Amino acid sequence: MQFKDYYQTLGVARDASADDIKHAYRRLARKHHPDLNKEPGAEARFKEIGEAYEVLKDPEKRAAYDDVGKRWQPGADQPPPGWDAGYEFRGGDAEFDAQAHSDFFEALFGRGRAQARSHRASRTPPRAQDHHAKVMIDLLDAYRGARRSLRLQMPSFDAQGRVSLQERTLDVAIPVGVREGQHLRLAGQGMPGFDGGAAGDLYLEIAFAPHPLYRVDGRDVYLDLPLAPWEAALGATVDAPLPDGSVQLTVPAGSAPGRKLRLKGKGIPGANPGDLYVVLHIAMPPPPDDAQRRAWEDLARVQSFNPREAMGAKS
Amino acid sequence: MTTTVSVLHCQVVEDEVWLSLLELCQACGSERELVLQLVEHGVLEPQGDGPASWLFSGASLQRTRVALRLLHDLELNLPGAALAVDLLDQIAQLQRELRAASSGH
Repeated sequence: MQFKDYYQTLGVARDASADDIKHAYRRLARKHHPDLNKEPGAEARFKEIGEAYEVLKDPEKRAAYDDVGKRWQPGADQPPPGWDAGYEFRGGDAEFDAQAHSDFFEALFGRGRAQARSHRASRTPPRAQDHHAKVMIDLLDAYRGARRSLRLQMPSFDAQGRVSLQERTLDVAIPVGVREGQHLRLAGQGMPGFDGGAAGDLYLEIAFAPHPLYRVDGRDVYLDLPLAPWEAALGATVDAPLPDGSVQLTVPAGSAPGRKLRLKGKGIPGANPGDLYVVLHIAMPPPPDDAQRRAWEDLARVQSFNPREAMGAKS
Repeated sequence: MTTTVSVLHCQVVEDEVWLSLLELCQACGSERELVLQLVEHGVLEPQGDGPASWLFSGASLQRTRVALRLLHDLELNLPGAALAVDLLDQIAQLQRELRAASSGH
C-alpha cells in the first residue's frame, strides 16, 4: 500500500490553513469535476482530490493523518506498526459507495458506515434507498435489444446494522431504442428493504462503447463513408455498412466531400426513430502505377478546374 | 455469496417515466426541501399545481443529480448550481451543433 500525500494532491503546504485547503480544493474540484470535465481520467483525479479534502478539512482526521505521515518511512510501502489502530471517528456523513475511497483511506479511517438514512421517525416502514449504476452497451444493442449481466456490489445490513458487501448478478433486458445518457429504472432492485419496508429501485445510466464506424448524437447516427474520387465525380452505387445491415447506397454524381446523405428512420429505432447520416469523404487511391498515372494526366489535361480560384490564386 | 436476478422489464426513464416529488427525492437521495428549492430556482420545471400533484419529466432525474453533485462537490450555493446546470445544457447544445456542422456542410 502506498502512502498518499494528500497535501501534494491538493497542492498545499503541510501547515496550510483550513481556508487554504478549502480554496485549493474548490479550485481543483471545479477543474476536474466529472460533470464539468469530460476528459478521461478526470473522474479518477476528482476522486483523489475529494478524498484528500475529506481528510484535510476535518481537524480530527487531519491530525490522525499527520501523525501517521510522521511515522511513515520515506519510500516504504508498508505502514508503521499499529498505524491504523487507536483513532476513533464519529460516524461520518460519507455516503456508502464501494469505490469511493482508496485502500489507504479505508485502512486508516475504515469504510464509511452506511447510515440507514431514511430510517427516521415515520409511520410507515421506510422504503429503502434507490441505487445508481452505469452500464456500457454497444450501439448495436440499442438497435436490437440485448441481455446484459451486471455484477453489482450491494451493501447489506445485519441485525446490528453492520454492513457487508454482497455481490449480485443482474440479468437485464436492455430495451430496443435506448439512447446514450438515458436511465433505465429497475423497480425493486435497489437497496433491500428493512423493517418490512419496500426495496428501493435501481437506476442504470446507459453509456455507449465507442464504435469504430459510427458516431451517435441522441437518436441520430453518423457514418463516415469514403469514396474514390471518380465515384464522387461520376456517382456510384456502393455498399454502406449500417448498424442493422448493409444497404446499397446511391451516391449522386458530383458529390463534394462532407455531403450528408440522410437515411430517414435508420438511426436508433423507437416510436420516434432517429436518422442515419452518411457523410461522404474522398479517399485517395494508393500511388499510381504507370497506366494509372497516364489516366490522371489525361484527366488533368481535359480539366480547367482551379479549386483555389475563390482564394484569388491563379493556378 | 452471489445471487442472480433476472430483470426482464425495465423502463426508460427519459421516455416513459414521470416522477412524483417523492419519487424524485428517493431516486436522487435528496431531501424534499432541496428539490423544492431547485424548482424555485428554475432548475426543475414540474407540471401540476403544487408539490402534491407535481410531475417531473424523466430528464429531471439527471438534472437533479447533476445539481446535487455540484452543490455538494463544489460547495456551491443554489443560484450557483442552477447557473452551472443551465450553462452545462448550453455547452451540450453547442457541442451538438458543432459536431453537426463539422461532419458535413
